[in-house]
Amino acid sequence: MAANLHLAHVSDVLLVWAVFCYAIAMLGYAAEFAATRRAQAVAAVPGESGASVDISATASGRRARRFGAMAVGLTIVGWCCHLATVTTRGLAVHRVPWGNMYEFSCMVTLVAVTVYLLLLMGQPLRKLAATATRRESAAAMSWRSKESVRCLGAFIMAPVVLYLGLAGTVLYAAPGPLQPALDSYWIKIHVVAAIAATGSFLVSGVVTILYLLKERWERRQPPLRALLTGFLRSGLRRPRLSLGPGTAAVAEMNAQRSGLMQSLPSSQALDRLAYRIITFAFPIWTFAIFAGAIWAEQAWGRYWGWDPKETWSFITWLGYAAYLHARATAGWRGRRAAVLSLLAFAALMVDYYVVNTVITGLHSYAGLS
Amino acid sequence: MTDTIVDDARTTALSTQPEAPKPAARGLWGQLKRGWAVLTSMRTALLLLALLALAAIPGTVIPQRGLDPIKVDNFLAAHPHLGPIMDRLSLFDVFAAPWFAAIYLLLFVSVVGCLVPRIRLHARALLRRPPNAPRRLLRLPASTQWRTEESAEAIGERVHALLRRGHWRVDTRVEDDGAVTVCAEKGYLRETGNLIFHLALVLLLAGIALTGLYGFKGTTLVQEGQGFANAREAYNIFNPSRLFSDANLPPFWFTLNRFSATYAASGQPLTFDAMVHYKSSPTAAAQPYDIRVNHPLNVDGSKVFLVGHGYSLNLSVTNAAGRTVYDGLVPFLPDNQGSGGHGVLRIPDLRPGQLAFTGSFFPTFAANAVGGATSLSPALRNPVVLLAAYRGDLGLNRGIPEPDYSLDISHLTQVGAVRALAPGQHWTLPNGATVRFKGVKTWATFEVAHQPGKRTVLVAAILIVAGLLVSLRVRRRRFWVRAIPAADGAGDRRTVVTAAGLARSDGGGFHEELDGLVRRIGRPQQDPQHPADVESDRSGSERE
Repeated sequence: MAANLHLAHVSDVLLVWAVFCYAIAMLGYAAEFAATRRAQAVAAVPGESGASVDISATASGRRARRFGAMAVGLTIVGWCCHLATVTTRGLAVHRVPWGNMYEFSCMVTLVAVTVYLLLLMGQPLRKLAATATRRESAAAMSWRSKESVRCLGAFIMAPVVLYLGLAGTVLYAAPGPLQPALDSYWIKIHVVAAIAATGSFLVSGVVTILYLLKERWERRQPPLRALLTGFLRSGLRRPRLSLGPGTAAVAEMNAQRSGLMQSLPSSQALDRLAYRIITFAFPIWTFAIFAGAIWAEQAWGRYWGWDPKETWSFITWLGYAAYLHARATAGWRGRRAAVLSLLAFAALMVDYYVVNTVITGLHSYAGLS
Repeated sequence: MTDTIVDDARTTALSTQPEAPKPAARGLWGQLKRGWAVLTSMRTALLLLALLALAAIPGTVIPQRGLDPIKVDNFLAAHPHLGPIMDRLSLFDVFAAPWFAAIYLLLFVSVVGCLVPRIRLHARALLRRPPNAPRRLLRLPASTQWRTEESAEAIGERVHALLRRGHWRVDTRVEDDGAVTVCAEKGYLRETGNLIFHLALVLLLAGIALTGLYGFKGTTLVQEGQGFANAREAYNIFNPSRLFSDANLPPFWFTLNRFSATYAASGQPLTFDAMVHYKSSPTAAAQPYDIRVNHPLNVDGSKVFLVGHGYSLNLSVTNAAGRTVYDGLVPFLPDNQGSGGHGVLRIPDLRPGQLAFTGSFFPTFAANAVGGATSLSPALRNPVVLLAAYRGDLGLNRGIPEPDYSLDISHLTQVGAVRALAPGQHWTLPNGATVRFKGVKTWATFEVAHQPGKRTVLVAAILIVAGLLVSLRVRRRRFWVRAIPAADGAGDRRTVVTAAGLARSDGGGFHEELDGLVRRIGRPQQDPQHPADVESDRSGSERE
């Protein structure tokens, strides 16, 4: 059964379209981000309007919304192209479309974009925000949930475009049949689980990096002007005022600051979002390892052989397990836990890129020559 | 603001970890107790997890004996000074190294030490009534208050029934002043799942140990048309585990009737099939089976895997007098260059002197641009063997063992030039000996593995995933409703109802759930802007 080269070509063209849509969407998200910042900067000028000014009513606020809507539209179009490229590839080669590194990369990014779109639809940030900002001020509460998930868009699209670009050029493999070692129904179970977990970990990695940036931003002392206005607005009304990081007063002052970080959700909301994605992906990753072990037992006669791929997926597992434990250990919550989760993600990337290309092992299915 | 931080600590916890009691004892016993407390603390577990991950990294960078012993030998040869030191540090057997074992054994001791008190605590929590409500419910992070005309007892009964239906553990307490408090808790499964997950990890280790102590693994090369009987001598490589004895070898037997491989035009392999007949015991009836990659033969608790294949050439050698001195199959071991492989044939009793051949086999022979030979495909389309003949002392009497598949030519003299032979052709050497290439057959290598702990490992794996799912999905939360007859007695709204909740584990939807509960209990609706914020009643003053 030879590959349908015409259909494979259609798949390649669709991939280019998907990357194109994502790249433009990324610019759209960035433009929305910039316009929101401008709107916030206008709103933050003291005396011009009240503290709880509705950002969305201003001109730049409206422009921001338009950019955002366009970006989401393009993401959905890109996602459809992306889904089609994977489907046509599968139809062209008469098998599951995740038999080599190129196809695996396409699937992982598809999962990442799907997770992002699901977040956008479900808007769990709204719930998260309700919990996280409970004690924060009305100004902090007033950021609109949908736009706040959307402002993650640019940061999610960037690695997706990078990944797909890399997949389409360096990692590209011509359509062909599966190696006999991969020809098992376990490829549907083990690899799908690995793809789902990797795609989700990719999103959680992006959110964790944003968390670290935002957390640093929140810890820094706000500029004097914002400090003064904040004090005048809220401090005088309150009998006691604490100025430690994370307090309501500082949150209110932060709301007056402008800057790139201002438009991001609060660090607590980002932390919780990353945690939720990891608690979703971690059991899937665990399952992927076990499914891989069962497959290895059938294919090679041993369920675990410390092959580099196995070892690095185990290191990744240990890393995320350490992250989950760190979140329950005093002194390790927050920044340290976030760093652990990023280290685990780095191990996952080693598992995926370095092991497939540099270290040779039994999992040499990259299709690179 | 400190209560926020405490609340955060509680809500983000993976589970409810008991506080380690401060050891009061002194002396050696006190030291031991303190040491034990440190070992079983979460911080130590965290450290050991990180350490284990770090310790595993060299095993993927440095060549490992368990994966590729030849690479290790090459590395040792290339680094005569550094190599032996690394070997002393077990860096070529990282995953069997004592320091690696020390880390994971400490980790497991830490896990067990942490689990035992937690199992006790959890069992106690399961038997106990849900904890009583805090005195000041409005102090809790999520709380609300309203007044109603319903009596306190009626509300208590209604809430109790409502929560019971929602599978909460409920306890209603009536106080002297007529106040009714309904205490409820849900999500005990979280800790159950967490405990199962950690216990299953210990079970997993036990299963792995069982395989490591009683299993075996062996590799054997079987020629097409020949048989294999499961005995230690029949293996080319045999790796028994520590407590394995030969009596544990199941007496099965199989013959390789035919091995076939198919290839795409590009030479990429498509299928490998080893058609065998097997008997699970000497008296059983022979049954056919097709062993493929990903499709091993399961016999008598052992599995037979197809792990490799190659060609063997049917060669015969006659001496100058025309007497046949060799007639048989010579297996050619494939190299990674895509050719059919290399083989060695030794003829020790060709009088006078000894004779040896080395050969390179090309299944689809073609001459390449520089005049060398190459094989266009691993499929058998134009089979040609290039033979080189050597004369001299093969060293068989010197007692130096030489591997079957390579020849040390330092003591030998080459006879004539390299000669290419196709099936059916022959080559007569100057000394009158004739070598005949009679045909090509295939061989396959099989790995036989017996892993007695496999089932335990599988059960542990299922429990691990299930426990993990439960402990990460289920949220532990508490909910209290207190109804107090109002001090100003009569009137329409004579009862003050306070409801409060506490999330003991992270996860979305807690506020929505509480909001839904208080709405069903009967709090009047308000503030459509922030439906999720149960607290909105109280904190109105804090907001603009």
